[in-house]
Amino acid sequence: MSQPSPLHRVSLDTWAVLLAFAAVLLVRFGLLKTIPW
Amino acid sequence: MASSAVRTSVPVAPQTAPSETNAPARAAGLIPGILLLAVVGYAGKFIEHFIATYGKTHHLVLPNIEYVLWAILIGLAISNTIGVPAIFRSGVATYEFWLKAGIVLLGARFLLGDVRRLGGVSLILIAIELALALTFMTYLGRAFKLKPKLVTLLAVGSSICGVSAIIAAQGAIDADEEDSSYAIAAILLLGAISLFLFPLVGHVLHLSDHAYGLWTGLAVDNTAEATAAGALYSDAAGKIAVLAKTCRNATIGFIVLGYAIYWGSKGQAEQVKNKGAFLWKKFPKFVLGFLLISLLATVGFFTKPQLAAVGNLSRWAFLLTFAGVGLRTNLRELSKQGARPFIVGAVGEIVIAVITLGLVFGADHLFHL
Repeated sequence: MSQPSPLHRVSLDTWAVLLAFAAVLLVRFGLLKTIPW
Repeated sequence: MASSAVRTSVPVAPQTAPSETNAPARAAGLIPGILLLAVVGYAGKFIEHFIATYGKTHHLVLPNIEYVLWAILIGLAISNTIGVPAIFRSGVATYEFWLKAGIVLLGARFLLGDVRRLGGVSLILIAIELALALTFMTYLGRAFKLKPKLVTLLAVGSSICGVSAIIAAQGAIDADEEDSSYAIAAILLLGAISLFLFPLVGHVLHLSDHAYGLWTGLAVDNTAEATAAGALYSDAAGKIAVLAKTCRNATIGFIVLGYAIYWGSKGQAEQVKNKGAFLWKKFPKFVLGFLLISLLATVGFFTKPQLAAVGNLSRWAFLLTFAGVGLRTNLRELSKQGARPFIVGAVGEIVIAVITLGLVFGADHLFHL
């Protein structure tokens, strides 16, 4: 039986936080433009 | 049967990748469902805009119905008529992921001082709500002769945060999967009803955005439904509802720990060895993300246009969530779950809604929300 990958231990919550922070940093440094609401 | 019915109507978002090798394939499998969320959500936005434009050009006074309601109704129509085809299901199940990302991003629209003030008021009300709701639901469940662990799950689900709390408690108290299916079905069905009732009551009582948002955050169980019910009233009410609900979510670890210790002491669940690790595991991490973004916004890490852009991202994430709320709700499947847990849940919800409304009126009077 294979070992679970490190990704396996990351919860949905943590993924959501990581994605949100990545997006925020991209916006902060001008690398991501958002579609106006 | 019961649990399979809930499984089909409550697809749980993939928590993790099973292995690195098939992770890209799994990610690709999510795309059709995410696109469906975007199409349904955007259709809701289009209808709202269309009605507003039509009213303006034809000089008609038409009701301004938020896109949230349209997105949910379109989703409900699909899931309760043709059903959500299998190819879309895993992607649709990501609505909860977008909800949490949206909440973290929403932190940019709050200064930490507001969070402290409103969060402080919310926490006081939440402590009162938790004590009353847990006690009342426990007595009500016993009066209806429900199984003790089902009573615990219903009490946790209706007092803290719906499905997440039930899933967290199920593992901690070794409850049957069938019991958690009953509890989840009852909470989801009641959440769907709340979506339509809460805004109506709010308008009838002429509640302010703050008071309504706080009430929704305190009384509606599932985070997605609380966010949607708040946004259905107004953008400002949606913000406050998310803040109050996030405070409520933050208590999940403590309550589940209490129940785990209780059932462990009775020899009906595993003993909790490391309480700190248990609390950290059950603590919703998106609450920390929300606070951190709010801190960054407070210390001036972002310019004004950047803050607006992050706020937009949050709104787009919520658009996907609201579409998912409709698409994952299969009323026929949920209603198959048995009347007694639903009746206990419904009576409990009505009582909790009335109590929290009283608390909000009191807080409004004291703190001028």
